[in-house]
Amino acid sequence: MAHNSVGFKDRRVIVTGGTKGLGKAIALAFAREGAWVGVNYSSDDESASRTEVELESVATKSLLLKADVSIGADVQKMISSVLDQWEYVDILVNNAGIIRDKLLMFLDEEDWDRVLEVNLKGTYLCSRAIIKTMIARRFGRIINITSPSALTGRAGQTNYAASKGGIISFTRSLSKEMARLGITVNAVCPGIISTPMIENLDQETKSNLLHMIPMGRFGEPEDVAWAVLFLASEKAGYITGQVLAADGGLT
Amino acid sequence: MDEIVNNSEALCEFLKKMIIDTLKLEGVTVERIDRSAPLFRKGLGLDSIDALELVVAIEKIFDVIIEDEEVGKRAFASISALAGFIQNKYKQRN
Repeated sequence: MAHNSVGFKDRRVIVTGGTKGLGKAIALAFAREGAWVGVNYSSDDESASRTEVELESVATKSLLLKADVSIGADVQKMISSVLDQWEYVDILVNNAGIIRDKLLMFLDEEDWDRVLEVNLKGTYLCSRAIIKTMIARRFGRIINITSPSALTGRAGQTNYAASKGGIISFTRSLSKEMARLGITVNAVCPGIISTPMIENLDQETKSNLLHMIPMGRFGEPEDVAWAVLFLASEKAGYITGQVLAADGGLT
Repeated sequence: MDEIVNNSEALCEFLKKMIIDTLKLEGVTVERIDRSAPLFRKGLGLDSIDALELVVAIEKIFDVIIEDEEVGKRAFASISALAGFIQNKYKQRN
């Protein structure tokens, strides 16, 4: 296939939150391009084992990694187990994320903390656990998934938007630390992606959302996956500290 | 590796070579590095990003972990300091 020229043969990839939705699409896209793919998840064993089967059918090698990315010891254990089996990792996609949407007046401390812990602290913990192996090989790609909420703000998402905005600032700063070491750090901003969450909205909300998107259609998970694969490719080696929006013109 | 670590002279020479190789320092020879001169800024002119690479190399070669920046500052004061730091870690281990 012509698009194989991107070239991920035997590249070792970890996708956090990689057993569902966008993360799963990213994991499968890497797998189809010849990469070894480790997918992390935290709690839903059922969907994880379904994804595992799917991944095994396309990936050269795959790993299912259960860990809560917001807990340092769990992350360390997960990365160590990958390094024990695969020796090193080339690409980390920090995709694991949760939402707890509420207007600020009703947003309690637990909602705030949990979203920041999983989305932002999780990105920090996974990145920190992986950079030594990348520095040792002078090659690495870290891609963090952010959100339009971080760029434009959205009512009911002060916690989520803050976590995703934090991810952008984290991305820019880490990119400067890693630039000389052959490691690029970028963010991908998906637009409104057609997932069950969007499909289940009522017609009016759906059509309002559609009107916001200049391209007039919701994004497919694969639209975002390609942006991630591009930034992870060897040829994107001069691009770092950037936010690439794959959003049909939304932002 | 124990043999080199136990011999300060040999360890210092090894570390000089390790730094030149790891950081791909062009035009720097083992002879040119003074073992008591600072590695950073005025001395050899290394910076904090170079230190990251050295931390990783030391962990790989000696299985010695530099846990934080403060420890790193002391360990990377000079070649002699780094040799002493590694020797201490080995002593603690045995």
